[in-house]
Amino acid sequence: MIPKPRPSWFLLIVFAALLVSQAQAHHNMTAVFDFNDRVTFTGTLTAVDWRNPHTYFTVEVKGANGAIESWQSEGPAPSFFRIRDVGKADFEASVGKTVTVEVSRARDKSRFGLIRTFTLANGKVVSACPQNC
Amino acid sequence: MNHRIQRAVLFTAASLCFVLTPCQTLGQELNAEAKSKEAVEARTKRNAQIFQNNASILTLLDRYGKPTGKVGERAMYEDAVLSPDGKRVAAIKDDLENESADLWVFDVGTGAVTRFTTSARTEFVTTPVWSPDGSRLVYPAMRKGQEAVYMRAANGQGSEELLYKNPGAFMDLTGWSADGRFLAFAISDIKGGSLYILPLEGGPERKTTEVLHSDLRVFRPRFSPDGRYLSYVVFDKAEKREVFVCPVDPAVHEGPWQISDGSLTSGYWVHGGKELYYVARDQAVMATEVTTSPSFSFSKPKVLFRQKDPVPSDLQNISSDGERFLVLPPARGQELQQLTIFDQGGKAVKKVGDPALYSLGAFSPEGNRLLVMKKDLDTGQEDLWVLAVDTAKATRITDDTRFKVTPLWSPDGKYIFYSALLDGDWPVYRKAADGAGKEELLFRHTPGAFVGLSDVSADGKFLVCDSGGVVMLVPLTGSDPAARKPIEYMRDEFDESTARISPDSRFIAYRSDEAKPERFEVYVRPFDATKPAPDEKKWQVSKDGVFGANTFFGFPSMLHWRADGKEILFRALELDSNDLVMMAADVETTPAVRVGTPKVLFRLAGPVNSSLGGVSRDGQRFVLPINVPVPPDKTAQPSGAK
Repeated sequence: MIPKPRPSWFLLIVFAALLVSQAQAHHNMTAVFDFNDRVTFTGTLTAVDWRNPHTYFTVEVKGANGAIESWQSEGPAPSFFRIRDVGKADFEASVGKTVTVEVSRARDKSRFGLIRTFTLANGKVVSACPQNC
Repeated sequence: MNHRIQRAVLFTAASLCFVLTPCQTLGQELNAEAKSKEAVEARTKRNAQIFQNNASILTLLDRYGKPTGKVGERAMYEDAVLSPDGKRVAAIKDDLENESADLWVFDVGTGAVTRFTTSARTEFVTTPVWSPDGSRLVYPAMRKGQEAVYMRAANGQGSEELLYKNPGAFMDLTGWSADGRFLAFAISDIKGGSLYILPLEGGPERKTTEVLHSDLRVFRPRFSPDGRYLSYVVFDKAEKREVFVCPVDPAVHEGPWQISDGSLTSGYWVHGGKELYYVARDQAVMATEVTTSPSFSFSKPKVLFRQKDPVPSDLQNISSDGERFLVLPPARGQELQQLTIFDQGGKAVKKVGDPALYSLGAFSPEGNRLLVMKKDLDTGQEDLWVLAVDTAKATRITDDTRFKVTPLWSPDGKYIFYSALLDGDWPVYRKAADGAGKEELLFRHTPGAFVGLSDVSADGKFLVCDSGGVVMLVPLTGSDPAARKPIEYMRDEFDESTARISPDSRFIAYRSDEAKPERFEVYVRPFDATKPAPDEKKWQVSKDGVFGANTFFGFPSMLHWRADGKEILFRALELDSNDLVMMAADVETTPAVRVGTPKVLFRLAGPVNSSLGGVSRDGQRFVLPINVPVPPDKTAQPSGAK
């Protein structure tokens, strides 16, 4: 019996499960992000980078001392969103508005994380799990 | 990678023109475009092909390898396990339509079937484990983005109990201690893994204990009957698997002990923990005598019985008495591949060599040699070989357990380029096509990122690569591979891959899903390697989709410029059947670009695997590994040691 952490149809599509998320994600996710260290931040979405192999979102967050902190979050590839009820326009419509992002934080404890959920300005919650979980 | 997965890749996923689309986001609906009648129909046809090429029936074998019964209907199963008394089977069954997977229980004697879970769209259950007394089942399930372990009575009655919420994902839960107190699971990523035990006593705040951490990937922990040891399987950096045993108590500084010398499966404790069984690389079921008291020791493994089928069954589970083996036979039966050369009319004009387990075939530039991927029938190892078309004389290019993908000829026919999975990364190598000398490392990309090759420039000065939907150029300047930096030549929101340079080096043909999601078409664009990005102008060549998976599979679709640059050949998307449909479109690039309407060259009954280099330089011949029944001289009855 071979280890198969995902159903076979996943494997059929993306070859071998343990390589899957890394391959889709283009780098070794668990080496960069700590999946046990979840952080949620709310702030103003200021930038969207909508390209392969990952999407990136910049959120300006008011810190504890009132200073503005810039958080970067990494999302799946655009194709992940493309056939779902959310797209580039949804994210761009939230630029300049308040969004909430739950991420698995980078292991270097920088203000960088891998998106688990992203709550758009209109309240729509976009989940990147299980790929990013 | 196991045989089943590779077969699946060859005959289904690679044939479905399915982009590297991640699984559906939990709880999210498809948008209007994806819900369109056309998209739904394409998905349904795709699923039918996946099922046709991969569904199998759970089968029981005795200890001599002889079939003794079947369980359940033909379906796509995973992680089937026998109950402790051997009278029931718990298995995960995939629902392609719902993109989910659920737990089912089958009564071996009566054929009664109980559905245990009903997952929402895109959610799934994995790795069921029977309690030692057979009264309960535990299983991880992914629901609403949260993986958790649940327990339920094995008779299907009552509600399930949440045992543990995993902060991450993809637990490999396979062990339940004989005293009923602990579960064992593994979590690995591409750079290593750990074994854990989880106490069943206590509430939802149960704490796991890490038993072992390794910089190698670890899976399938199973308790010895006395609960003191775990058997597990390790994937080394070159993808070779071995069965190990380690103490459960992290404070016991003994072991781990390597049991196998190459294994396809994990280790199964049988006969009250007096033996460990596993399947060796040559498909032999091996038995090792073990003792666990006062400490662990084991004897040299011996062959219990040997599967001689070239296409072996996928072992799912072994009963604790060592008498029954639960397997999934190959979905398409015993088939090998005959390398066959076809002309433009689809007529077979030559067979090269004998049938074997081939997955790739590519013409050398001069057309007198074939680059093939061949799996050894005895070791299960897959390697690159060069075959002479006239004599079938074979020259070995690689000899290792790494997973090799996207092999290409150099333009002068002197070298073979390929990527190989090593320690979770995809370095690019080249080796002399006559097999001489050592392989040469050419390029390393971002750790963990896939790199597939799609072309080599005519002057050999740069590689064209795919990575994550991005087309990269890798200049082969200098002698230090670490100093070579890729140029992201095509990087946008669409998945673009398989870029092929025209003979005059002025254009590239490539695949992109920009027109429709989940569907690729071929485009042509001006090409200038001295510029950081291509001209925005482009011309669509194919009209109704092209065959082939993303190069992550290592099997990019046929896409070929005829030597005079006036024709582009490609394999069409064919969802109504498994057939291969070869297309050609006239192309003019001077004085202006004009693309003709693609026409069908020929159709072959499938499934047929095809590879990027399967078209001769002049576009007149096509090499394909055609499925054929296993010849009688390669078929043998299972042999037993007892």
